[in-house]
Amino acid sequence: MLTVENTKCECGHQNAVGTVLCESCGKPLLKDLQQSDTPLEMRYDGVARRSQKSNQTVIDKIWSFFSSVKIAIYLIVITFLTAMLGTIYPQESTFINNFDPSTYYEQTYGLPGKLYYMLGLSHTYESWWFIGLLVMIGTSLVICSLDRVLPLYRALNKQQIRKHHQFISRQKTVFAADIGGDPKEWMTNFGTQLKRRGYKVHQEEGQGTALLAEKNRFSRWGPYINHIGLILFLLAILARSIPGWQMDAYVSVPDGDTVKIAGTNYYIKSEKFIIEFYTDDELPEQLQGKARAKNYETQAVLYACVSVCNDPLKEPVLEEVKRHNIIVNHPLVYDGLKLYQFDFDLKPRLNAVNPILEDKQSGEKYGPFYLPMKDSALQHKLGPFTLDLYANYMEFALNSEGKPTTLSREPNAPAFVFTVKGPGLKPEGEPYIYFPMQKDKVKFAQDTINREIADKIQIRVDGMENVDFSEATTHLNVRVDKALPYLWIGAVFSMLGLIMGSYWQHRRIWLRIDDGQLVLGAHTNKNWFGMRSDVAHALKKVGIEIDPKTLDNGGKNA
Amino acid sequence: MSLLDFSSDAFMVAFFLYCFAFLFYVIAIAGKKWSNRDPKQHEKRWGRIAFIVSTAGLVAHLTFFFTRWIGGKQIPTSNMYEFMTFLGMAIMIAYTIVYAMYRKPLLGMFAIPLTIIIVAYASVFPQEVQPLIPALNSVWLKVHVTTAALGEAFFAVGFAAGLMYLLRVINFTDKTKQARRAQFWVEFTLYSIIVIVGFIIAVFGFRFAGYEASFTQEKVLIDNKGQDSTIVDTVNYYLPPIVQPYNSQIVEFQSFLGMDKPLFEAPYWMNGVNAGRKLNTVVWSIIAGTLLYGVLRLILRKRLGAAIHPVMEGIDADDLDEISYRAIAIGFPIFTLGGLIFAMIWAEIAWGRFWGWDPKEVWALITWLFYSAYLHFRLSRGWQGLRSAWLAVIGFVIVLFTLIGVNLIIAGLHSYSGV
Amino acid sequence: MGKSRKKIQIVILLAVLILGGYAIGSTFFGKDRTGFLKVGAEPPEFTLADLDGSVRSLAEFKGKPVVVNFWGTFCEPCVREMPEFERQYEKWKDHNLVILAINLSEDTLTVNNFVNRFNLSYPILRDVNRQTERSYGLRQYPTTFFIKPDGTLMEVKVGGMLEKDIEERVERLLQL
Repeated sequence: MLTVENTKCECGHQNAVGTVLCESCGKPLLKDLQQSDTPLEMRYDGVARRSQKSNQTVIDKIWSFFSSVKIAIYLIVITFLTAMLGTIYPQESTFINNFDPSTYYEQTYGLPGKLYYMLGLSHTYESWWFIGLLVMIGTSLVICSLDRVLPLYRALNKQQIRKHHQFISRQKTVFAADIGGDPKEWMTNFGTQLKRRGYKVHQEEGQGTALLAEKNRFSRWGPYINHIGLILFLLAILARSIPGWQMDAYVSVPDGDTVKIAGTNYYIKSEKFIIEFYTDDELPEQLQGKARAKNYETQAVLYACVSVCNDPLKEPVLEEVKRHNIIVNHPLVYDGLKLYQFDFDLKPRLNAVNPILEDKQSGEKYGPFYLPMKDSALQHKLGPFTLDLYANYMEFALNSEGKPTTLSREPNAPAFVFTVKGPGLKPEGEPYIYFPMQKDKVKFAQDTINREIADKIQIRVDGMENVDFSEATTHLNVRVDKALPYLWIGAVFSMLGLIMGSYWQHRRIWLRIDDGQLVLGAHTNKNWFGMRSDVAHALKKVGIEIDPKTLDNGGKNA
Repeated sequence: MSLLDFSSDAFMVAFFLYCFAFLFYVIAIAGKKWSNRDPKQHEKRWGRIAFIVSTAGLVAHLTFFFTRWIGGKQIPTSNMYEFMTFLGMAIMIAYTIVYAMYRKPLLGMFAIPLTIIIVAYASVFPQEVQPLIPALNSVWLKVHVTTAALGEAFFAVGFAAGLMYLLRVINFTDKTKQARRAQFWVEFTLYSIIVIVGFIIAVFGFRFAGYEASFTQEKVLIDNKGQDSTIVDTVNYYLPPIVQPYNSQIVEFQSFLGMDKPLFEAPYWMNGVNAGRKLNTVVWSIIAGTLLYGVLRLILRKRLGAAIHPVMEGIDADDLDEISYRAIAIGFPIFTLGGLIFAMIWAEIAWGRFWGWDPKEVWALITWLFYSAYLHFRLSRGWQGLRSAWLAVIGFVIVLFTLIGVNLIIAGLHSYSGV
Repeated sequence: MGKSRKKIQIVILLAVLILGGYAIGSTFFGKDRTGFLKVGAEPPEFTLADLDGSVRSLAEFKGKPVVVNFWGTFCEPCVREMPEFERQYEKWKDHNLVILAINLSEDTLTVNNFVNRFNLSYPILRDVNRQTERSYGLRQYPTTFFIKPDGTLMEVKVGGMLEKDIEERVERLLQL
């Protein structure tokens, strides 16, 4: 198909193998192309693409595979078709916890779900073949661009003004006429008109009967700049798998707690979680009465551990580094670490109470004393009384053997068992069970369990100011993504290239006058309508009025 | 009169102006063959009238948009009604820009009905201004939605021109296999558009008649402590239930044409009460659309494509091809910016991840990949004319699926749509 | 032109091979989406205090068979398992068997009361704020990890075990 001989054009220029149109004068080089008179294929100006070679090694073959736009299109098509499959059922990555994919899909969707899971479609976008497709697209982007941009650059950089007659007359936009008078003067005059439309005009030296007018050549580089941006983007995504470059974790913080952010040196404290709902007059009728959140925020403080960070026996030394109210769309950002409002839980949690001990016989009150739900002091001295904490339960219950136990580690129904010593009590002490929550006091009949000691003393809380509880728990999403800046740079390049290539078009007009006979050919990479109107406008200014549509020589609209 | 009421009135004005503009375009084209007139003059005159009316419609539409923005204190792009009306407006903007470039009145004959259908579709959804939930309260979201919609509007214009191209060049008398296939798919495209119209008619028809039925569905949930609890979901139907939700009980049922209980139950994998309701809506749309299509066929006595084809005669097919391509080439960078880049920026700010393979995101990517394949097919493989026009049509189907289908079908079958 | 061209081609294809191979390869060796530890993987390191106030970390038991058991007093099957582990420990401790029972971030008094009641002699470690349990991807209690002397996981057992189940696994572990 490609012949090695005959690459030398009649104008004397030696062309590379695979050249379609002479790089210098534009004359078609291939025999069958010379004999036809259809409009010429002007893609890449007819220069030889790098990969077109006759005797190919394996490397050449791989190279020319990825260099093919046809292959690139196939890759794009396969990618979007397979991407569709991934949206049929939710992906595994949309679930956060308590989720076992091997049973979930079958249970929820039956047989199709089972197949979906077995085919690996439940993690389409992390599968080796999908990533493989993206890698191949990336490769194709690099090789296709490289193979085309360099020859194109060379061709556009050393353009001949006087083109072959056939080259001009076989453009898609053409015009021919007899010109009276001085051809050079006519040409100069026409050139001036084109200059007014923003063209750079090159008139042949000497005779002055050939002309090349060109504008917006830079738009030819648009697609390549776009491709560079896309390659940067893909590389940035790849860089995210470098250890430490990316993190995605969740942390739950009850009001007032300070929690370590696993995998970092930071601790996060939620001073308070606040939620605000829309009032009924702010809502349209059908939404009234529904709790529609207006705003919620976590008043967060970020600490960094400065010493004793990994000693389980000692408390770490923390230093405040940042204070920020985290709202949706306004994360806390510190040194690459980002904390996003993810969710919340409005279930209150009892942290501590400050109860008093009342001596029922004397009416005397002692205390209050501090009683946290977790890790309380084991002994409390209250006036003449001594309380020894003997056992505590977070969610009090009686087990199958009738013995006290706890059902969970959350303070849902806390209970404390003390040995109480003091006036009017046995010297070895008497047991006393205390339920800080009123509901549990009633449910488990505290006074009945305590029997006669209940008549002598009572432990109780005086007023809500002596109760410390977290009203809510905030759930935050912890993120680190060091590749982001590169990603945005890629996106900016890509966008720039797209704009350059789409909103400007490279337009060229060639003219020559031979013995009073004018031929004009014009080429653009997009928007023939605009090309024709440019030519028709300039012609009109030099006194030739035509309908722009008549300039069309048929052929394709590329 | 409050600003919001005024805004609604402006919307109605815009809607009727669009309808008139469409009518005038039809007169401009179809009236060319009327007696005692110069066809060129006629087309120019009526084309101008139609364009002026459609521009007036756009002005009214913009008035609606900005007064609602001021009245509702937030940019009206936050629910389906507002988004679809915005999309309709964006299509009119895109159309006006393309018209300014090419001055082809005929484009309006296809672009304007598209706007009319989309705007009418929007009216199906609740129209009240709804206060925002916090996640949606971001500048980037607004920028993202509006820019993406504008890009998609150019794709819509590309679709309109592509469909016109098909109606123009496909030979409806040809009996070869290839021609028959082309005829079938053009007809199918037109039928699909009519089904959407059927949906709108069915919804408004039954809404006007005040039809209502409701169902409950019991669901047993097992929490992480192993305790089960029963949740009862209720769903209201506003179209007579042909299909009831899976495993549901009738609460209220107005009998319709002697039908006093649903004919079918939704399949088990369509769990959730809303999935059943949506399926029922789809069934009704197809019924109404098919009836409408049948009536049109009876009136025209030939296929719709064959009936429209003669009207298109005298239009330059190459121009249509170029308009379609140009519209898409203009829309592509805008869509890239709005649909992908701004979307990523917003996602990064709101959720801390620029990309999460959420169905909506994936479908935006699919749209983008599809149109980039279109551009490459055209530039490097020389796919022009017919093939290019088909791609423009398919591309817009993908756009519509991304905008509507994802919310309706994918997110509807699963419960993870909202965050 | 020919030679430098060839070099560029080779460099680019090599770069693609390395980067692409890395990208595709990481899909196979990435962390399991579910967060479960896989058999054969190395379990995460921890450094925790025991009840006597000394610090124990997993690394110091490298070369010995280790059983890591997560338990809490609020979990009945865990409670039932503890004396069984004690008996197994007594039986095999001369064979270098290590049992580390990590409590699920409970209160000191609660843990002490429990350990004294059952008179347990193997180390009881105190997790803080559920960090270790999270890094092990725990979903249910009890969960027991059997770690081979080479430091990799032999088995993950979710849920309670009978004594013979424990013994059978310990014997397998000791044979390695």
